[in-house]
Amino acid sequence: MKQYQICTRCIMDTSDPEITFDENGVCNHCHNFDVNIKPTWRPDETGKEMLEKIVEKIKRESQKNEYEAIIGLSGGVDSSYLAYVAVKQLGLRVLPVHIDGGWNSEIAVRNIENVCKSLGLDLHTYVVDWDEMNDLQAAFVRSGLANLDVPQDHAFYAGVYKFAADNNIRYVLSGSNWATEGILPPAWGYMAKDRRHLEGVHERFGKMKLKTFPRISMLERKLYYPYIKGIKVVTVLDYMPYNKQDAMKVLETLGWRYYGGKHFESRFTKFFQAYYLPTKFGYDKRRAHLSSLVVSGQMTREQALAEMETEQYQPDELREDREYVLRKLDMSEEEFEAILKAPNRTFRDYPSSHEYLEVFRKIRSFFRKFM
Amino acid sequence: MFHRPRVIPSLLLRKNGLVKTLKFKDQRYIGDPINAVKIFNEKGVDELVLLDITATTDKRGPNLPLLARIAAEAFMPMAYGGGITQFEEIREILRLGYEKVIMNTSAIENAELIREASECFGSQSIVISLDTKKNFFGNYHVMTHSGSNDTKLDPVQFAQEAEKLGAGEILLYSVDKDGTMSGYDLSLIKKVSEAVNLPVVACGGAGRVDDFAAALHAGAAAVSAGSLFVFYGKHKAVLITFPTDEELTKAGVFES
Repeated sequence: MKQYQICTRCIMDTSDPEITFDENGVCNHCHNFDVNIKPTWRPDETGKEMLEKIVEKIKRESQKNEYEAIIGLSGGVDSSYLAYVAVKQLGLRVLPVHIDGGWNSEIAVRNIENVCKSLGLDLHTYVVDWDEMNDLQAAFVRSGLANLDVPQDHAFYAGVYKFAADNNIRYVLSGSNWATEGILPPAWGYMAKDRRHLEGVHERFGKMKLKTFPRISMLERKLYYPYIKGIKVVTVLDYMPYNKQDAMKVLETLGWRYYGGKHFESRFTKFFQAYYLPTKFGYDKRRAHLSSLVVSGQMTREQALAEMETEQYQPDELREDREYVLRKLDMSEEEFEAILKAPNRTFRDYPSSHEYLEVFRKIRSFFRKFM
Repeated sequence: MFHRPRVIPSLLLRKNGLVKTLKFKDQRYIGDPINAVKIFNEKGVDELVLLDITATTDKRGPNLPLLARIAAEAFMPMAYGGGITQFEEIREILRLGYEKVIMNTSAIENAELIREASECFGSQSIVISLDTKKNFFGNYHVMTHSGSNDTKLDPVQFAQEAEKLGAGEILLYSVDKDGTMSGYDLSLIKKVSEAVNLPVVACGGAGRVDDFAAALHAGAAAVSAGSLFVFYGKHKAVLITFPTDEELTKAGVFES
């Protein structure tokens, strides 16, 4: 058992089993941010110029299209603010695409409605078949894995890509950003983009065939969509100062409302991050989310520590959410209790493309040395 | 005089999922009923109508386990229709917490069931759904089996018959208007609501909040809509919405 230790700069601690500290007590996540992320993150004049060039290119290439770009819109802060920036600051003709995975909260749909209405945007929704989603979601719950949000996240990602390809829209604007998402320990859950992993877990624990569930393979993601289809993903928020508090103030003028936690616009994600993970795996994703805000200078370490002390769930609210999630998944209390007590698994217990991706990364870094 | 007529989303069940139809055909999948009902519940709607549109055509009864799970999400009054043929089914659905049961095919094939149920559970819990379609000569006919079977019956006469049997409310659907979002069939609403003392709920064709006021003006006691509350914008993106009290007051639906 390692001794408890917490980073002296951010608030990451030994609840990440792979964390390391230097002689000053600064963790590897902070170093990774400084060395690998900061140089590519451009919340400054350079970023502004780069973004202007990208926007010019988008406009030039998409003159004939009704929409110059699509935006994945969840109703959360990042994607909603991205919609605002795209319309009000960049003057792009964007189409928000919403992937409905069956867990929307009322606040999520209201945010989507108000953002679209106040910015004068159309909307396209892809509704994931709930029977399939249910089967897949339940399979992940039964797997004992940490990342139960693989089905939702994979569907969002694949759904938006597929929509762009099917409609010949070459630009996808993404709300992913280094300003608020610079830190997330790999040990806290395997990535959602791996189709082999998604299908492997479903194969083991699912009960029906997946027919329509949106999926995206590694080859499609790395090769087909970017090179054959020529679809480019632009992380717009990385080219500008992006402060979460300021963004929320702007969004509130559009009738948008905050829902109390990162990704909590999804009912499942709230239950999963605020209850399942801390209960079964003993870590709290807020630690990474808040640390991200600390290293990007949006929050002091003290504020982050104070935030960690707040309760994410009132007891009656937790009971209500738990009942809701289980009722919706059609899973009994007994089964869920047994799952909470069962051994924890890692992605290595199931099929994945992890090895391939490692090789791919090695090849890429090898070539970069010579380029 | 403060007046607040009911504005009722109507949701269509197909197996375990919700769909939205166009003229009772072209079913488009719109997602999971449990989440939809929970969202409507949080939006504070007055009442919900849930219709299983394949129960009768699949020759089966109501899906009671699913109805139980859906009922758990709703604090507002709920009405259920679809595949009800027996007195026991009515009892069971009311026991699950649904305030009203809706009958269409059964009302025609088994009038006795309407009488029995309204005597036992009270008229307020028995709703007759009148699915009407205009034929080539411009006459309205009552349809059954999700609009696929023409009974050749006249809706006005049938509405009066339903009233005599003890029904407490009429859900007046226009098959031709369903899903078109082009406004209600006002002359149909006028005809039927003038002929009976029962409250008539207008269904089929609502495309804007203003359409509600027109239907109420034509004699409807309440209004119902599907597309308007589940589709957003020109691409008909699936998104659950519900007008605010302010919007309803502005459109003349609510009077204060």
